[in-house]
Amino acid sequence: MAKTDARASAETPVIAIEGLTKSFGAHQVLKGVDLRVGRGEVVAIIGPSGSGKTTLLRCINFLEEYDGGSIRIDGTEVGYRDGSGARRRRSDRELAAIRVDAAMVFQQFNLFPHLTAAQNIMLGLMKSRGRSKAEARAIAEKWLARVGLAAKVDALPSQMSGGQQQRVGIARAVAMEPKVLLLDEITSALDPELVGEVLAVVQELAAEGRTMILVTHEMAFAQEVADRVVFTDQGRIVIDAPPAKVFGEQPHERLRSFLSRFVGFRPNPA
Amino acid sequence: MATLIHTLPFLVDGLLTTLLVSACVIVLSLIIGLPLGCVLAFGPLWARAPIRLYADFVRGVPILVLLYFVYYGLPAIKVNLPSLLSAIVALTAFKSAQIIEITRGSFQSIPSGQTEAAKAIGLSLFDRFIHVLAPQAVRRFLPPFVNSVVDTVKGSSLVSLLGIVDLMLSLQQVIGRTHVALPLYLIGALMYFAINFPLSALSRRLEKRFV
Repeated sequence: MAKTDARASAETPVIAIEGLTKSFGAHQVLKGVDLRVGRGEVVAIIGPSGSGKTTLLRCINFLEEYDGGSIRIDGTEVGYRDGSGARRRRSDRELAAIRVDAAMVFQQFNLFPHLTAAQNIMLGLMKSRGRSKAEARAIAEKWLARVGLAAKVDALPSQMSGGQQQRVGIARAVAMEPKVLLLDEITSALDPELVGEVLAVVQELAAEGRTMILVTHEMAFAQEVADRVVFTDQGRIVIDAPPAKVFGEQPHERLRSFLSRFVGFRPNPA
Repeated sequence: MATLIHTLPFLVDGLLTTLLVSACVIVLSLIIGLPLGCVLAFGPLWARAPIRLYADFVRGVPILVLLYFVYYGLPAIKVNLPSLLSAIVALTAFKSAQIIEITRGSFQSIPSGQTEAAKAIGLSLFDRFIHVLAPQAVRRFLPPFVNSVVDTVKGSSLVSLLGIVDLMLSLQQVIGRTHVALPLYLIGALMYFAINFPLSALSRRLEKRFV
């Protein structure tokens, strides 16, 4: 998986997160997170559960509100507007326009059960991207073919396996042509034998240079597909480095104990 | 036998009154209950609180008490409603509280992931409601709603206590004159059944199809 030099493209970050903080009640989940993701970069976030990795991802398209710091997508602050010193939450309409640029794929797929595979993809294209029905249909068919589901265009989610549903979920997100694709533990709800077909799709998207941030427990996959691996622990980013370095030297005690829980995973720096 | 046939037109008149009352109550309750139910599901606390109070209070009071309250109680504050209108008002007060609850439940039982997925593809509040939440809520709403319609038709027999000649009271009047109780009650029961059985069957079909 040869990629262009990530460090060079990181100079114009698609995602720029600075000093991000977030609390649920008294519990501070994010304690000042800084992260920059360049165009075409694939960043894998790993870490123990409760370390804040999913919350971080959900903040990026404002499914969670953040308390402090800033998140910018291509220079645009995500959730808030500066209004004479005090920050103001953006209106629903503004948020909708920003969220399209950070489409998300969910652990539980979250397909719309009353719509067919094609209609799931068409809805956002028509309502958020202003496509005509015919255009949207063509795009939906193209993407369903790309994820190997040409035969399931008019199938309802309930008529598909978990792996197929998740591939529709990926197609629905990527068809919006977002600036960044957010993948939240997208294989965690799948039977083991269905994981491969979903990861293959992600790998293909990475190969064509799409910017992605993925939260994952698939260490081998993170090692293979990511340009950078970010290890979070207790609300902070502890390590942010290329996979060869993260999985190779294992300099950090907490990372070592975290990785030791993945039975059968052998760090194998290329 | 001939007596029974002679009584039929009278019973059919009663049946029509039962249907009229039921239809008015259902339509009015939908008009009141659907929007209030949506507010209860999505609205701010200051709007939810009075609706919550209304729904809980009305559902906690026997329908007969509501009926007598409207017909015999309200004249004390110079609200004099004729019996048919009193019956419709009281039954609507009760039914609309039920519709509020069914509507709220229909929306709140939709997993939050649906709203999140809709947000993530950039849908506005309006589009999320129209294209994602409402279609799923309708599927959840219909089975309990149809059951509620069945309850309305049966429960409307209470209006006979205000002297309204519905199917129930017309039966009693005919029995009072002919002294033939059993066959007439059977006919009356069959008439209620003839209306409600198709509704129950419909409800079962909807449940199979959507749940």
